[in-house]
Amino acid sequence: MTRRSYPAIAVLVTAAFFLGLFPARGEHACEVPPEMMQVSVKLPHLAARLHAREPVNIVAIGGASTTGTAAGSPDLAYPHRLQLALAKFFPDVPITVVNKGVPRQSTRQMVGRFATDVIPEDPILVVWETGISDAVRGIEVEDFASGLQAGIDEIKNRSIDILLVDMQFSRSTATVIDFERYLTALHRVANLNEIYVFPRYEMMRYWSEQNMFNFDEVAAEERARLAARVYDCLGHKLAQAIRLAVR
Amino acid sequence: MPDPSTSRDLRLDFFRGVALIFIFIDHIPENILSYFTLEALGFFDAAEVFIFISGFTAALVYGRRLVEKGALYATAQVLRRAWQLYVAHVFLFVIFIAEVSYTATTFKNPMYNEEMRVADFLDEPHVAVVQALLLQFQPTFLDILPLYILMLVIFPVVLLIARRHPLLVLLPSVLLYVAVQVFAISVPAYPEGHVWYFNPLAWQFLFVSAALLGHARIRGQTSLPGAGVIVPAAAVIFAAAFLIKLSWTLHGVWDTFPGLLLKQLWPINKNNLSPLRLVPFYALVVLVVTYVPRDARFLQNAAARPWVLCGQQSLEIFCLGIILSALGHFALTEYGASVPMQLAVNAAGIAMMFLTAWVIAWYKTVDRMPVLRAATTSARSSDRAAQ
Repeated sequence: MTRRSYPAIAVLVTAAFFLGLFPARGEHACEVPPEMMQVSVKLPHLAARLHAREPVNIVAIGGASTTGTAAGSPDLAYPHRLQLALAKFFPDVPITVVNKGVPRQSTRQMVGRFATDVIPEDPILVVWETGISDAVRGIEVEDFASGLQAGIDEIKNRSIDILLVDMQFSRSTATVIDFERYLTALHRVANLNEIYVFPRYEMMRYWSEQNMFNFDEVAAEERARLAARVYDCLGHKLAQAIRLAVR
Repeated sequence: MPDPSTSRDLRLDFFRGVALIFIFIDHIPENILSYFTLEALGFFDAAEVFIFISGFTAALVYGRRLVEKGALYATAQVLRRAWQLYVAHVFLFVIFIAEVSYTATTFKNPMYNEEMRVADFLDEPHVAVVQALLLQFQPTFLDILPLYILMLVIFPVVLLIARRHPLLVLLPSVLLYVAVQVFAISVPAYPEGHVWYFNPLAWQFLFVSAALLGHARIRGQTSLPGAGVIVPAAAVIFAAAFLIKLSWTLHGVWDTFPGLLLKQLWPINKNNLSPLRLVPFYALVVLVVTYVPRDARFLQNAAARPWVLCGQQSLEIFCLGIILSALGHFALTEYGASVPMQLAVNAAGIAMMFLTAWVIAWYKTVDRMPVLRAATTSARSSDRAAQ
C-alpha cells in the first residue's frame, strides 16, 4: 500500500467513524485506522535479538521532532516513549532507545552523522526520521532520494535493521510547504529497499481531521503538554508497528 | 497563404500555453490532474517545454529585430524584456513574503516551530530581500524566472556570436553542459547551502540549443536534416521513456504494478537537467515538429484558442498560475482535498488563466487599433446598437 491511497482510505475511515464503527474521540485518543498499522516488511536482525532475549540497542536519528524540544524534556520525546512502550511489549529484554536528534538537518547532513552518532552505539535497529528539513529548504527531491538511498545502504551493509519515519503533518504549514513530493520520494525509496515507513504524516493528518490535539484552541502554556501527548501516541504506535515487524 | 517567415507560429503559442497550465497543475500538491501532465508521463516536465519555447521564440523575435534595426536596438529590446521578467519576479516574491510571514506569525503549534522555520528570512530581512533582488534567494516555485532572466541577459551575446557561426555558440554550451554532468558543478544560492534549483550552467544548454534552432528557422532552414534516421530514433526513445515513466506513475498508485527499471533509472536529476530528461524531451520536439505542421487544423480550432492566448501572454499567465496554485493549495488544505474539490480548484484556476489571457489579448488588440478609426467605428456601431 502506498501513501497515495491514504487520502481515499482517510475518506472511508472518516465515513466509518461517523457511522460509529470506531470508538469516539476521547476514548482512545491515539487510535488510527487499521490500514495505517499494516506492516508487511520484517526486521529480521531485531527479531533474532528479541528472540534470543539479548539486549537491544535502538538509535533514533532525526530532526527537532526526534529531539522533542516542543514537549519540554527528552523523556517526553517520541524515542523515549517508544522505549517505554517496547519495554511493556518485551518485558524480559533490556531495550534502550538512544535519541540522536539534531534540529534542522537535511537528509544528507544526517547521513554525515551516521559514522559518529549511529554506528558507535552498536544498534540493531535504526529509526530514521527525516524529510522535514529537505522539504522546508526545498532541496531537490532527487537529491533527497539519493541521500536516503546512501543512508540506507550504509546501515544495511552493516547488517543493521532500519525503518523510516516520515514527516509531521500540520494544517498551517501544509499550505506553505509542499511535502507531497518528498513523501512520495521517501515512500518510493523505502519501497525499493523493502523498508518499513512509519506513516507519521498520515496519522497526524488523521488526528488533525478528527480534531484531536488542536493546538489552536489551547492556551500557550498548554501547548507543550499537548505536544507531549502527540509524541507519546507516536512512540506507542511505532512500538506497535515494530512488534508487528518482528513477529 | 501567409508568408511562413513572418506569420506567427501558433504551435509555439499553443504548446507554451499547455506548459503554463501544466505548471499550474503540477504546483498544486496531491492534485489528481497531475497524473495527466507531462510530469506523470515523461522523464521531463513542463519546465523543459517552457524554457525550450522561450529560447526558440527569443531567437525568432530578437533575430528579426537584429536584421531590421541593428544589434544595439535588438540588445536593448532583449534587456527590456529581461527587466519585465525581473519586475514580475520581484512582484511574486513580495506575495510570497506576505503569505509566509502571515503563516509564520499566526503559528501556534510548538511541534513545528523548530523545523518549519520557513520564515527564517524574517530574522534577517535586510539580507534576504537584497539576496532576492540579486536572484540569489529563490523560494520554491520562484526558481524558474531567475533562470529565464539570466538566459535573456546573456542572450544578445549568444545571438551576435551565432550570426558568425552557430557552432561558436553550440560548442561552449555543450562543453559546459557536459562539464556540469561530469563534475556535478552547482551554482550556490542564498541561504548558505542552497543551490540554484534550475542550475543555469546546465539549463543554458536547452535555452541556447532552442535559440539556435530558432536562428536556423530565420535563416530559412525549416526542414529537419537526416529526418529519415532521426524521426524513427526519436519515436523509439520517446516511446520507451513514456512507457517507463507511465509504469512508475502507475506503480506509485498501485504498489503491485511493476515500476520498470525503477531501481536503475530513478531518481532522475532535475537540477542539472540530466540527459535522461533532455534526450526524451528532444525526441518529443522532433516528433512534434514532424507530425504537427504549423498550419495544423486544430490550431485554428476554437478549443485551441484559450491555450494559444495563454501562450501569447506567457509572462502574465505564468505569474498568475504561480499565485493561483498557491491559493489552490491553500484551499485544498483548508477545505479538504476530496476529488471533486480538487477538480473544482483546477477548473477555477484554469478558467481564470484563460479569462485573464483573453482580457489581455483583447486589451492589446484594442490598444493597437488606430485611434481615430477605432473611435469612429465604435461610435458608429454604438449608434447602430442604440437604434
